[in-house]
Amino acid sequence: MVFEKVVEILRNYKEEPELEVTMESSFEELELDSLDTVELVMEIEESFDTSIEMDSELKTIGDVVGLIEKAIA
Amino acid sequence: MIKTPLCDLLNIEFPILQGGMAWVSDAQLAAAVSNAGGLGIISSMNADENWLRQEIHKVKSLTDKPFGINVMLMNPHVDKIAQVLIEEKVPVITTGAGNPGKFIKLWIAAGIKVIPVVPSTGLARFAERAGATAVIAEGGESGGHVGDMATLPLVPQVCDAVSIPVIAAGGIGDGRGIAAALMLGAVGVQLGTRFLVADETNIHENYKDKIIKAKDIDTVLTGKSLGHPVRALKTSFTRSFLKAENDPSTPKETLEEYGRGALRIAAQEGDSQNGCFMAGQISGLIKEKQSAKNIILTLVKETETALKGGLQWVK
Repeated sequence: MVFEKVVEILRNYKEEPELEVTMESSFEELELDSLDTVELVMEIEESFDTSIEMDSELKTIGDVVGLIEKAIA
Repeated sequence: MIKTPLCDLLNIEFPILQGGMAWVSDAQLAAAVSNAGGLGIISSMNADENWLRQEIHKVKSLTDKPFGINVMLMNPHVDKIAQVLIEEKVPVITTGAGNPGKFIKLWIAAGIKVIPVVPSTGLARFAERAGATAVIAEGGESGGHVGDMATLPLVPQVCDAVSIPVIAAGGIGDGRGIAAALMLGAVGVQLGTRFLVADETNIHENYKDKIIKAKDIDTVLTGKSLGHPVRALKTSFTRSFLKAENDPSTPKETLEEYGRGALRIAAQEGDSQNGCFMAGQISGLIKEKQSAKNIILTLVKETETALKGGLQWVK
């Protein structure tokens, strides 16, 4: 559920509706630099109406999904 | 007299910050700037907590005015440094090279003012949300490690994106630049390169001479392919670095190794074969070596002239 929504936000962000994304996809593979990552995480937070700690380094989509799931649980 | 809300916020006379430059900004320079009414900032670069504690004690012995410490977040000693800053109750912390989220709440809770350097509106909003006191929006005209955005488009967009005070940096070298930054919505400025040539700056004289001699086109970006571009004066070092960088057969590790330590060599030895003289695009504007105090007083006077002069176009 969270994952699907994150993928949708990511596809919109990159304007690539067919973008292949898995839990293991890293931001680097998705060609998102650290600034993109911050933007994207904030968009994701807004859409789930929550906020996550960006303390630990976020490397993969799975990392973000995990934190969001924890935050809204 | 130039007064903005930043002066009250940081308890300083003029809204001028001296950038924390690795191997350049030490206690002596920071104290001179703070004593002159600006905010002097010590760079903690890659140093460990013991070195930093000594510098903090030194700056406290040289000035009773507020000062700042710049924390390079990629520093391997960063966790211990974060703690020392709390123990020493430093007035202001600026951060660079990374995400300060982890530390902001900790420092703010200790009564420290935290001002991250940001290269985009996203990071500015993130810093605000994490509780930052203000942000420094730094454009890629600056020296050293730079972002993509230029100051002119970056500053007003950051001002629109956040409600905390914005300080402009990158490409500001005189009072005209400061006046322009204030017009963009900033309430203060941070200058690095201009303070490289201050009398109190402990760097090799060759470094200062190179800044004084530099023309507008004399800086260059290196290391773009490594993902962390650095602006420096064109020297035989940057020419051979760029040659290696543009050669597809050069491994990234070799390039990283090539650049390592090059700033220290420039600052301490003044060696243009092996040193990387980091400097901003305003190097060409700097014509004389002055004391930190005279730099600040000159800047303030020029800013007043520029701001008052602007009114002539309002008909």
